[in-house]
Amino acid sequence: MNGASMDDLALLIPELILVSTALGFILAARRIENAHMATAGTIFAALSAASASVWLVSDSARTAFGGMFIVDGYSQFFKVLIGAALALTALVSERRIDVESVRPAEYHALLLLASTGMMFAASAFDLLTLYLGLELTTLCSYILVGITVERPKSNEAAIKYFLLGSFASALFLYGVSLTFGATGDTGFATVALAVSENTLRNNAVLLAAMSLIGAGLAFKIAAVPFHAWAPDAYEGASAPVAAFLAAASKAAGLAALGRVALDAFASPSGIASGFLIGLAALSISVGSILAVSQTDMKRLLAYSSIAHAGYALLGFISGTTEGASATMTYAFLYVFMTLGAFGVVIALGKRGESLDGYQGLAAQRPGTAALMLLFLLSLTGIPPTAGFVAKFVVIQSVVSTGHWMLAVLAVVCTVVTAFVYLRVAVLMYMKEPQTPEEPARFPTAVSAALAIAALVTVLGGILPGPLTRWTDSALAAKSATSISRNVDR
Amino acid sequence: MTGFPVLTTITFLPLVGAAAVLFSGGQRLSRWIALATTISNLAISAWLYRHFDTSTSTLQFVESATWIPDWNIAYQMGVDGISLPFILLASLLSVLCVGVSWTAIRTREREFYASLLVTETAMIGVFAAANLFLFFVFWELMVVPMFLLIGVWGGPGRVYAAVKFLLFTLAGSVLMLLGMIALYNSCETLDFTELAKAGAKLDSEFQAWVFIAFLAAFAVKVPMFPLHTWLPDAHTEAPTAGSVILAGILLKMGAYGFLRVSLPILPEAVQVFRTSMLVISAVAIVYGGYVTLVQTDVKRLIAYSSVSHMGFVTLGIFTLNASGIQGAILQMINHGIITGALFLCVGMIYEQTHTREIKDYGGVAKAAPAYSAFLALFCLAAAGFPGLNSFIGELLIIGGAFQTDAWLMAMAIWGVALGTTYLLWLYYRVVMGELNPGLSGLKLELGVREVATLAPLAFLAFYLGLHPESVLTYIRVPAELIASGATP
Repeated sequence: MNGASMDDLALLIPELILVSTALGFILAARRIENAHMATAGTIFAALSAASASVWLVSDSARTAFGGMFIVDGYSQFFKVLIGAALALTALVSERRIDVESVRPAEYHALLLLASTGMMFAASAFDLLTLYLGLELTTLCSYILVGITVERPKSNEAAIKYFLLGSFASALFLYGVSLTFGATGDTGFATVALAVSENTLRNNAVLLAAMSLIGAGLAFKIAAVPFHAWAPDAYEGASAPVAAFLAAASKAAGLAALGRVALDAFASPSGIASGFLIGLAALSISVGSILAVSQTDMKRLLAYSSIAHAGYALLGFISGTTEGASATMTYAFLYVFMTLGAFGVVIALGKRGESLDGYQGLAAQRPGTAALMLLFLLSLTGIPPTAGFVAKFVVIQSVVSTGHWMLAVLAVVCTVVTAFVYLRVAVLMYMKEPQTPEEPARFPTAVSAALAIAALVTVLGGILPGPLTRWTDSALAAKSATSISRNVDR
Repeated sequence: MTGFPVLTTITFLPLVGAAAVLFSGGQRLSRWIALATTISNLAISAWLYRHFDTSTSTLQFVESATWIPDWNIAYQMGVDGISLPFILLASLLSVLCVGVSWTAIRTREREFYASLLVTETAMIGVFAAANLFLFFVFWELMVVPMFLLIGVWGGPGRVYAAVKFLLFTLAGSVLMLLGMIALYNSCETLDFTELAKAGAKLDSEFQAWVFIAFLAAFAVKVPMFPLHTWLPDAHTEAPTAGSVILAGILLKMGAYGFLRVSLPILPEAVQVFRTSMLVISAVAIVYGGYVTLVQTDVKRLIAYSSVSHMGFVTLGIFTLNASGIQGAILQMINHGIITGALFLCVGMIYEQTHTREIKDYGGVAKAAPAYSAFLALFCLAAAGFPGLNSFIGELLIIGGAFQTDAWLMAMAIWGVALGTTYLLWLYYRVVMGELNPGLSGLKLELGVREVATLAPLAFLAFYLGLHPESVLTYIRVPAELIASGATP
């Protein structure tokens, strides 16, 4: 491997922007007492990183560091998405930071570093770079979950998340070492070559490697049966952190999983897709059914995010570019609607955290209730919201592969999740208020985040054309080695 | 024909009205905005009706714009002789719904009228869509405001009814989504006209599965036995305007779906399922009739009568002959008018009495002669009295049923007899006899606004009874086309 040249570093500009901002925050931590300043800095960094990644992509994919790092349409798409999620998280964090006496500079530095890891993971073209990116993200996430030191629940959540998370990382790393043993390399291109040469079915080591890596990644997106940490972590963490985990972290996990499933372990025998089918079916059904009995709003959204991870996975099953484009569309729209829902939770403060707090909300704050209804309808997948377009593309992709039972399961579980979200809608619109009305004041930043999320949720449902064109062209600009599998069924 | 997008205008004008209502300052102002919007929409629909060419079955007032080019999905609107009468009916009922809610709705009026207007957009959109994707979007859009109408402004059991309504409908429509995706994957288009060409080429087993998927959605909406259990709850608990829309338009969307999707696109599957559909319809007619007979709640009684009456409609559709299909469409219009009117009547008196139990009524004729006359007219119309509108529709359906099987005709006639019984018995218990002491002192007689609300429907009951041609000329050509396409 050659030393890093300037050209290689140029491809890292988005990550470098985030890291340098984060380091700046850490150095100046004692001086930054004002949360607004940190928020502005983070948003600026996030937007610059996203624009830099847009600017970096040319028609063909470019690799750096001896092929360990790739910049292509796929990574660009996810980097923009992660940048947007980071910016929105920074906006919604405005309300909580003051309340929970967290040092703004530390908090924002951690958000930035976690996002750096995510962007790095989206660009990883080697299992080791992927591991580095994901570890950076999870390490920061552990701290973010536990950052509200005074709340015991938050500490407990952080410890649970840490224990399970390190276990998952170990699994992933073990998978990487097995891959190295079986193929002699950890680069996706070589792995893909080895996988296509000796079929997974006959090579137990490679099969084990794939399962372990898959398990590690499934943990990151909280897919069943690797989901147990999510409800506790979301509940214990302060709401903006939970939103960040549900949106950005999940998007990054999906990006990584897509790369691994479609580029490295794309087996013609479809074992990888068998694995994905299992994960998706379990996540969709378990996530939606367990959400039914929740009474804590963040737990409810956690289970719903588990179900959504399952829906997002549906696109990868086909192993085609159309399928990957479907998952990307899903991830994009999901990030905005889930951030919107969390945004309402945050905007309502303490009241928003438990389901009872939503009683009679429509009578007291019609605007907030209407926004929540919009996000809930979108999460359910009712047209003309973005959620419907997202569901349509992934289910269409599953149907085109002929997995009818999975498609039926997916749509039937939509009805279950509808019941989940309906409970909130019923509380908001059809019950009398229980909590006395508080003055409806929340920071402009939160309102701005809600407005952006709502805009995407509506526009994504009415005019999905530009988004699907973007995902398609993003995949077209993916490297030739990528998406090697185009199974004809 | 002008290039002006009339259909888009009537579809989205109510949505604009809804936005205006939401952002208008006053609660009182909202109902005036709603009234103005619905009346303008009615005027435009009437203009459409006048300028429609009844000699052809092709779509008219067609609009087409690219929407999602990557998926080959376009924004396509267009009406034929089947959909246009429904658009007119939906516009008319929307005006009347605003009229009947004028004083009945006192809480959160802005949200109420906004929901009502969004419902109108969805209703008209469903009938004006010329693309399955667009159809589906409007179909689902309908559910949310309806859920709010029932759940927020409904009766005591409103939350249960609203949730049940939404879950039933959603369970059906997610399967329709699957059917739509299946069609999309194999035909690569969702344009109704193109689909009708491409669908017939699909192999019969595939058609059967797609038929089942769509059946799930349509059968819930119609509703067909045994999926009708949401209907009595929803109709009973909904506010009057909600009941009118449910009975008047929403139920027709299911049957319209059969005519627009199942029959033209899946002809082989229709042959396979035809017998079972006919049997289910006959069961709905008779079973629905008997269940209606024993109801003790006025609204519930009328709600159950819809099960029986919609059984006639599906029976007519699946006879697959021109007479049956024409009768079914005409009967849908008639049922929308009459049941809408009956719910309006019940709602008007409920506003004073606050009871729906039949035993709390009696002798209303003594206190409210004009009201009793209107109720008599609508009960007779619902029972299929000659000279009133239902008569022709039922006659056509029974004729169509006879061409298919004499037993079906017997069941249909049995249903008519049951219908006469429960309606006249209802009328007897509510209106005849001595005035129920509980009602004394209440102002039961209709006011000017209420008469104005009922009068258009009363006029239509007579007019369509004497001049059924005014609707039948629209229906005839497309109905014959569907019948000829569906007959092997």
